[in-house]
Amino acid sequence: MPQFTHLHVASAFSGHYGVTRPELLAEAALAQGSDALAVTDRDGLYGAVKHIGACLQLGISPIVGVELMVVDSTGTSSLRTTPTERARVVILAHGQNRGIGWSKLCEVVSAAQMQRIRGGKSLTSKRDNPVSIDIEELSRLIDGGGCTVLLGSDSDLGRAVLQADRTLAESILESWLKLFPKPESFAVELVSHLTEPGTDRSSLVARRLLQLADSYRVNCVLTNAVRYLSPDDALTADVLDSARLLEPLGMFEPQPNAQAWLKPAEAMHQIALEITEERSRATELIDATNRLADRCRLDPVSDCGWGKPKTPEKSALGIEGNPFEVLWQKCQAGINWRYGDLSATKLTQIQHRLSQELITINKLDFATYFLTVADVAQMIRDMRIRIAARGSGAGSLVNFLLGISGVDPIEHDLLFERFLSTERSSLPDIDIDVESARRHEIYRAIFKRYGSNRVTLLSMQSTYRGRGAMRDSGQALGLDDDQIDEIAQNMWRFSARSFRGALETKPELANFAQAVEQDRRMNLLVDITERLDRLPRHISMHPCGVILGDSSLLSLTPVEPSGMGLPMSQFDKDDMDPMGFLKLDVLGVRMQNTMAYAVQEIERIHGKSIDLDAIPKDDPSTFELIRTTNTLGIFQIESPGQRELTGKHQPTEFNDLTIQISLFRPGPMKGNMIAPYLDSRHGFAQAHYVHSDLKPILQETYGVVIFHEHVLRILHVMTGCSLAKADELRRNLENPRIAPRVQKFFKEKALERGYSKLVVNEVWGILEGFGSFGFCKAHGAAFALPTYQSAWLKTHYPTEFLAGIFTHDPGMYPRRLLLSEARRLGVNILPIDVNKSTREYRVEKYRANGKTQTGIRLALSEIQGVSENELDRIVAQQPFENIADFYLRAKPSRRTLERLGLIGAFDELARQNGDYTRGDVMARIRQLNAIKNRPAADASQPTLDFESLAVSALEQMPTGHAEFDDTEKIINELLFTRMDFTKHQLEQYRPMLDEMGVVYSDELVGMRNKSEVLVAGVRVATQTPPMRSGKRVVFISLDDGHGCSDSTFFDEAQRRCSHILFNTRLLVIAGKTRRTGVRGVSIMAENAWDIRELWRQWLEKKNPPTELAG
Amino acid sequence: MRVDEAVSVSTTSSGEPIGFNWRGIVFLVKSRPTRWFARREWWVEAARVHRGIGSGVIEVEMWRLQAGQELNTEAKAEFELIHNAEDGVWRLTRVWG
Repeated sequence: MPQFTHLHVASAFSGHYGVTRPELLAEAALAQGSDALAVTDRDGLYGAVKHIGACLQLGISPIVGVELMVVDSTGTSSLRTTPTERARVVILAHGQNRGIGWSKLCEVVSAAQMQRIRGGKSLTSKRDNPVSIDIEELSRLIDGGGCTVLLGSDSDLGRAVLQADRTLAESILESWLKLFPKPESFAVELVSHLTEPGTDRSSLVARRLLQLADSYRVNCVLTNAVRYLSPDDALTADVLDSARLLEPLGMFEPQPNAQAWLKPAEAMHQIALEITEERSRATELIDATNRLADRCRLDPVSDCGWGKPKTPEKSALGIEGNPFEVLWQKCQAGINWRYGDLSATKLTQIQHRLSQELITINKLDFATYFLTVADVAQMIRDMRIRIAARGSGAGSLVNFLLGISGVDPIEHDLLFERFLSTERSSLPDIDIDVESARRHEIYRAIFKRYGSNRVTLLSMQSTYRGRGAMRDSGQALGLDDDQIDEIAQNMWRFSARSFRGALETKPELANFAQAVEQDRRMNLLVDITERLDRLPRHISMHPCGVILGDSSLLSLTPVEPSGMGLPMSQFDKDDMDPMGFLKLDVLGVRMQNTMAYAVQEIERIHGKSIDLDAIPKDDPSTFELIRTTNTLGIFQIESPGQRELTGKHQPTEFNDLTIQISLFRPGPMKGNMIAPYLDSRHGFAQAHYVHSDLKPILQETYGVVIFHEHVLRILHVMTGCSLAKADELRRNLENPRIAPRVQKFFKEKALERGYSKLVVNEVWGILEGFGSFGFCKAHGAAFALPTYQSAWLKTHYPTEFLAGIFTHDPGMYPRRLLLSEARRLGVNILPIDVNKSTREYRVEKYRANGKTQTGIRLALSEIQGVSENELDRIVAQQPFENIADFYLRAKPSRRTLERLGLIGAFDELARQNGDYTRGDVMARIRQLNAIKNRPAADASQPTLDFESLAVSALEQMPTGHAEFDDTEKIINELLFTRMDFTKHQLEQYRPMLDEMGVVYSDELVGMRNKSEVLVAGVRVATQTPPMRSGKRVVFISLDDGHGCSDSTFFDEAQRRCSHILFNTRLLVIAGKTRRTGVRGVSIMAENAWDIRELWRQWLEKKNPPTELAG
Repeated sequence: MRVDEAVSVSTTSSGEPIGFNWRGIVFLVKSRPTRWFARREWWVEAARVHRGIGSGVIEVEMWRLQAGQELNTEAKAEFELIHNAEDGVWRLTRVWG
């Protein structure tokens, strides 16, 4: 069988260029009989780790390179002139040289990437330089060996050969050879895509290049410059070209044909023959290609540090001596801190647990890892930033003692084995939640503390999904934006891969489906959208990941500039484990900001300092509030579904919150775990434990298996295996191929230990059904903590808490709904005021009706179209004496001045100066806006020009203009702030709603089951959660100022109101009430209407238009 | 000269043309023919482009060859043929000389 190794292959991770994922390429190479394959992505090693992983699994040799632009910057001053492009070359790393080739390649890629911000360009300006490397720098970098540069048709040399300018071609080749004199560092790449003879990438032109190279005795190799797996994928490449170039198809020179696919060895031999027209030369060409491939075969372990965990050196952590001993000492100190006042017996229990954990950590040699994470956690706390752990890490006592996690695993009965065990050796995941707004501050501090040679940010590959895929497809076909928008608006929760299928089943796509039948372009749109789905789209900064390594980090991963300025690795989170990189997830959680803000406002207003981590976790009034289901703003339990579940569940203690958060997930819902739990809890059914041995394990959930920890303990008790082993079994349960082995083990051991066949079979049924449904209790408990803390704040300090919510916007709802909630709670809302509002929602103390009151002052930052600079000026210049003073000192744009007036930000100021209406204010603003040039505000300057006179001459406010009525006020508020703070916008329609008999949402709880009702409101949430039946159900929540009503639309109702299902904002819904629990009522919707449409009809009926007399 | 006429072509087992019949005259290929692939503007022409439709919507096989009449050994001209891989139809597109 002929051999051929592809050395030039772009994977799908060459954004907007390559089509096929590395795994598929490697599989195809193996199937074609190759024992090696290169991936050479554009501008980076984006697909490299996935490629190496796939090759290792298939037993073929990975080869890695990059495709880069080489420029000549000689004679160009770095700022003004652009360097001339010389070529796009492939640079391949040599292998099996203890990483010399790999680290060279990383260095070259990083250097090319840093070109983007050369000369102070910023990434965000979208006018950064192209990724490129200067030819002399490249020559310098690979002078010592380690890489081979392939120079092909996409270069100055290739262009000269194409023009058949032999003299020019010779001098260009000589110039390259001067910079790359070593034969192992340089080769000429021949490509024939079987294009029209004499054109680019034709065999004829390749032959000319070969002849030139031969005359200089330069090594030649053959590649196919691959972009896709099979000819069929070429069409996808056309669409990607369009997305990259931002031009519709037909407006740019497309690829010449569909030949850039991963051709089998025979086809490549055929091409070699067609280029050389001579059998022996063809064989030599193939042999040279295979020889270079051999030189580039990587040994992932010795070349790339594959799988070897890397942590910062001791010196970087500031520790001396044995890391394990240091860890041991830190944990002992933690016992005093966390459990200072416990009894001796309790302490023995804790010491026992601690030594078990430490033994495991020591066996895995992860002491440095824990010390690193603890060091970061301590650093964050020292910065006075709120921090909490999430995930299975909360199950570890060591994490609790080191201050990484705030959840006590002993108190909450959490297992360490779920987090870390000797049965696995990959680095565990510890995720840290911090205040979102201060996340970048933390990243910078980490870079500073450990040095920029040991730290990079983590990147993320975003992929094409529904709407994005459709948009780029639409643009490729040259559809206009409105058309694209209209279709995109109705694409709701389905994978673009099944776009065509969705056309038949989704009522909101009915119009589009009809268009597809009649319009060829729409038909194409559906096909290419499906093709784009799931393809990597672009790389961006991972929202929360930092990679911490030792000082060799930058030899192992290429980096590029990120939006925030710090360097970012080109590898994503899935690449971390294979590369042995320690990834620290520092997640910005807005709820943490919200709570920190609330605590700060409480201290400022009431002088009380509150330690949220120390409040008792059994406060009755907090649970009372939760049970009312008015949970808007509370972490994790504010969604419509969670509100409904809260109504049914009625939590009374902290553990209930852990359970509820864990239950409300697709798995348990599909697995029907919720109903049996609730029934037993409320005494409608007897809890069923199968066997008395399981009762202690499952008592907390009335016999229902919810947590991974439950499964671990059941396996442990019934088979006698260790908890660590039990966790391995649990993981294997999720894999249908290995699950039968778990079954065999479980049944044999359990029968051996004397459990009856009946019990064994029933328990196995439960475990098997558990599958992937379960949830890690440690994770649930870690989440329940901020849930409880936020509920506590809402109960005891609603004003300060809501001020935090408004400022940091942590939840899923629009601010105007929270405004509604504030009104419902009796929290005072103070309108936007140019003298009192700032960028934040501050709590304000004021006197009214003879009493000191507090309220939330709305923020200036909420007004659309006000620039950052304007905000800075307003806040810095407060207070203002009158509107002219504001106009002169805050220097607002005309639009800003007008908007501030329209939403009433000058009302208070105008009232201080006299009895002026908002109409007067607007008249004054019109006068000021009519002045052509704003005079200087500085009083010391002589202001004698005409314009200044105009301002001062108008010190007198105009009077006699009408006050705005409420409807006018609300319209402007919604238009410019998206909030209705004068009163709820639904109130405008109240006369009609009353006449129709529409009820308020808080009346629903007192109604009988299955009552026919009408509700109205502003849409605040639309959800289509996964259902057990697989059918789609749409949940719509409406806010009417008295709370939220939640309506459920099943198939028929969806069809009936398909046109308003996803887009209309103000709705009236008709349906039947459905009691879902003690405090839970939802509506089974039958129909829905657009309020504005009804209002128009109602007005017409009230005042029938008079016919014009003919 | 541009033409666009269907011709019947006889090929080798690997698909290389060896002769064709144009306007009732038999032409024999007298040199090694060159094959290449030209592209099609599927966004203008195609009705469907779903995954798996094949490369026929995006490219088309072209042949350039020198041929002459059966009995006339001296005279030959250059021809360009287009071969639709999907339906097997050959068309003569250009003639030089």
